[in-house]
Amino acid sequence: MQAPDASMDLLRQLREEAVDPDYARAASDGRATRNPGAMSAIALVIAGALFATALVSTTRSKPLVTSERAQLMGYIREAEARQDQLRTDQAALRAQVDTIQKQALGGSASLPALSRTVAIASGAVPVTGPGVVIVVDDAAASASVDGRVLDQDLAQLVNGLWAAGAEAVAVNGHRITTRTAIREAGSAITVDYRSLDRPYRVEAIGDPRKLPADFTATTGGSWWAYLNRNYGLAFDLQTSDALTLPADPGLGLTVATRAR
Amino acid sequence: MIAILGLLLGVAVGIWLSPTLPAVLQPYLPIMIVAAMDALFGATRAYLDHTFSDKVFVVSFISNVTIAALIVWIGDQIGVGSQLSTAVIVVLGIRIFTNAAAIRRKVIHA
Repeated sequence: MQAPDASMDLLRQLREEAVDPDYARAASDGRATRNPGAMSAIALVIAGALFATALVSTTRSKPLVTSERAQLMGYIREAEARQDQLRTDQAALRAQVDTIQKQALGGSASLPALSRTVAIASGAVPVTGPGVVIVVDDAAASASVDGRVLDQDLAQLVNGLWAAGAEAVAVNGHRITTRTAIREAGSAITVDYRSLDRPYRVEAIGDPRKLPADFTATTGGSWWAYLNRNYGLAFDLQTSDALTLPADPGLGLTVATRAR
Repeated sequence: MIAILGLLLGVAVGIWLSPTLPAVLQPYLPIMIVAAMDALFGATRAYLDHTFSDKVFVVSFISNVTIAALIVWIGDQIGVGSQLSTAVIVVLGIRIFTNAAAIRRKVIHA
């Protein structure tokens, strides 16, 4: 007759032969020493050393992980500081280029004006003017993902502002241009590859009388009305008489040239 | 007695010298320890059964530790290292618990 647990032979065998069957065999042959001898002692010393080594290496590696993390955070901060420095340098060089350009184009009347318009629209120079300030933030009470502002939400908001006729947009002081990506890295939203801190302050230059109403009519407007109503995300729109938005420092051309 | 002394001496030596295992062996240390524990519990049970044999213990200890590390090493080579180490730990864990229960029954008759 087949044993009821025949299909679990391995488990049964494991339990029944938990002790090496050789012990019993040695005992029946009369080879059992009953008490551990020198050889066993050596094996036990090795076993003890194994335990201790593992113990030491795990306790040693714990602070290592923490310090590695701190080191990485230090690198990130350093790199961010360096990036800021480079942006400042870049802005200074940009201003020089502008001055030289103006001198070179001194004779032509229409070109500087065109260049000016293009520079403002493309985000190459700082701009000022009236507009709206929208401050959005995570839902106050909710700690879940549902109550958080996502990169997509910010992108919808910015797109809504463009659609409503905004002429220049900046998020937390980062100018949004055709070459600015709003993305998510880990749990942080990045604009132009810089991570942002909450709350998110979106400034848009445009007609302050028309912009709020027009924004409500866009996809971005209804998107945010929905988030505000259903998830409790904070949304606060105010008009402003004078906003100053910085230039996007990342607009240099390296590959593209003008087609003839 | 000699067994406990040996074990303590080993721990002392390990902490005192804190040898750095070669990096190749590092990932296999935990599994080697579980295998060593299995051999230790088996030996303790055999000792209480009065069937302990020096040679069997040493052979089972060395082969257990080596084979456990080897299985996981092979698993790492073919990309199922973590699954195989789980398998080894389950098998050795069952044996350790069975032996520990038997030892408990022998020592405190409960």
